[in-house]
Amino acid sequence: MTGIRARPRRILLVGLIAGFAFAGLGPLRAGGVNLGGDDSGADEGPSFFGFIRDADGSAVTDAKVTAAVKSGGALVTRSNSMGVYKFSGFGKDIDPDSVTISCAKDGYRQANVVPRSRAGADSKDPVEVECYLQKE
Amino acid sequence: MTPALCFAAALAFALGGLGAAPGRAQTLAGTVASAAEGAMEGVLVSAQQDGSPITVTVVSDARGRFRFPDGRLSAGHYRLRIRAAGYELDGPKEIELGAAPADVSVRLRKSSDLAAQLTNTDWLMSMPGTAADKRPLLECMSCHGFERILRSTYDADAFVPVLERMARYANNTIPARVQSRVAPREVNAAGLRKLAAYLATVNLSRAPVWNYELRTLPRPTGRATRVVITEYDLPRQTIAPHDVRTDAHGNVWYSNFVENFLGELDPKTGVHREYPIPVRKPGFPTGSLDLEADGDGNLWLALMFQAGLARFDIKAKTFTIFPVDPALDDDAMQLSMVMPRAANVDGKVWTNDVARQAVMWLDLSGGKYERIDPFALLGKGRVHGPYGMAADAGNDLYVMDFGDENIVRVDANSGASTIFPTPTEKSRPRRGMLDDHGRLWFAEFAADKLAMFDTKTESFKEWAVPTPHTYPYDVYADDTGELWSGGMASDRVLRFDPRNASAVEYLLPRPTNIRRVFVDTSTDPVTFWAGNNHGAEILRLEPLDERIR
Repeated sequence: MTGIRARPRRILLVGLIAGFAFAGLGPLRAGGVNLGGDDSGADEGPSFFGFIRDADGSAVTDAKVTAAVKSGGALVTRSNSMGVYKFSGFGKDIDPDSVTISCAKDGYRQANVVPRSRAGADSKDPVEVECYLQKE
Repeated sequence: MTPALCFAAALAFALGGLGAAPGRAQTLAGTVASAAEGAMEGVLVSAQQDGSPITVTVVSDARGRFRFPDGRLSAGHYRLRIRAAGYELDGPKEIELGAAPADVSVRLRKSSDLAAQLTNTDWLMSMPGTAADKRPLLECMSCHGFERILRSTYDADAFVPVLERMARYANNTIPARVQSRVAPREVNAAGLRKLAAYLATVNLSRAPVWNYELRTLPRPTGRATRVVITEYDLPRQTIAPHDVRTDAHGNVWYSNFVENFLGELDPKTGVHREYPIPVRKPGFPTGSLDLEADGDGNLWLALMFQAGLARFDIKAKTFTIFPVDPALDDDAMQLSMVMPRAANVDGKVWTNDVARQAVMWLDLSGGKYERIDPFALLGKGRVHGPYGMAADAGNDLYVMDFGDENIVRVDANSGASTIFPTPTEKSRPRRGMLDDHGRLWFAEFAADKLAMFDTKTESFKEWAVPTPHTYPYDVYADDTGELWSGGMASDRVLRFDPRNASAVEYLLPRPTNIRRVFVDTSTDPVTFWAGNNHGAEILRLEPLDERIR
């Protein structure tokens, strides 16, 4: 397996782009089953987000990204047109360290997964994990 | 489980238009015109013989011509009606069909009450306000149309107790029969007051007429006019057909959303039968929602607030009831879905527990239910709603999260969930079906989209429906690759080809609240079936296009 390391100078850029990519999400919207009912995200744990990249550091779109929980179960999503993925809404009982991020796409194999340091982070701070694919 | 129960109440319909009797090969054709437009395309012309529960409808073409298929009407006296927004029938209103072909000139005049002709979609198009203002109204459609809201004269303060009262109603409530929940229901007071304030700005509380233009969708054109629609009136207004499907013999079966009956209709003879389902929780709302077939062709019903599942032996015509265990049952228990399709694999039938946002499986060997939280990984702050269900060949469950935005696969062995958020946020996936290629087709109710989740590649595709404010309830993929959908808002049946995103929207003859949709692919072209949940009728739609295989 070829280890690929993200370039530190890109970290800020990653954060900015991810911030723009999800800027439109806004607060959780109303529209539950009850009349006038609203969702509340107050009980949620940290979200997971990051880029899916190839060996050149280019964004990989429409890659399948899985967040598997050690105790069983998973969330699955796809990277968007900028190679960004996001999982929101894990329960606060889910230990972020028990979540494993992986990525896959036809014609590629997973090369490396790089979690960003969470030193000093609050338990609700987003967890950034980059996943690298290499062409087969 | 209780012993099987069965007795049939046979109600023979008057069979005016259906008998294979002499004189069946009548022809009724003609033109539709008005002073305002001359020849009119897209006008629905309906004929109902005196004493018959059956109404046949065709649509005028670009030259204003219409024609009922040969042999569809028998000799006799018919009442005619039309549907064309902004118009009403000037005449003729009755016609005598005899031995000779009839050719009539149907005259329309401008309607004096356009508001009475608006669909829910039309109202949503017409009303000022933001999407957020209007979104709570989507819940109202489950029990009634919007016209009564917009004709009301309540101010905001007067609206609040009305909305509070309605929030206490069970969702299996229709205008002809109100049912109240036994368990108290939490209501978001602030949200409800906000809704009341909005409604008071769009109803007639401030003026005798609406202070906005009433807009309607255009009439059908082209392919949308090439259709025959048959309505079968059911014998009581309190019959609320929710799920409709045909069996291997072409008989039509339906769940009754507000009464404890399973209904059967023979579309060839018109005979209608009802099979009573035992009421096991007196004082609780009655009626059933999901109607599914198992691998043996037997029918299963989810008994809603009666807290159980029912299996109907289609040969013996007997029920076996599977009540929820007392340890799990309570006043809020509500089972809206059932999925028995692959129960032969492991002896488990899937269902849901609406009040706890959970799924359950019923172990047929012991009749015990086990509750599973499919959203255990997620935070508790979001509203989820396990709703439409499909099972694959291994009895793994695919459940649509109607409260939020997810497709969830629940492993049949471990009960572990894999959650797939839809590309569109808060799409509220409602109901759908799994095809033979492992593709889950489903309706994204709140997103106004049809969608497909490929269970093999675990990827989504989404298509916006052509008319905003359609709010599709369900999707059926026929064996030609076309999708069929309907809902509670637009009084239209959507036929959609995902290969080229082409769409046909068939307008229906009456206000029609569609839930589950079903397509009989044994006919050529296919035949679409649905119930009119608020209109006590079964609906058959036959496109006249050539079928593409």
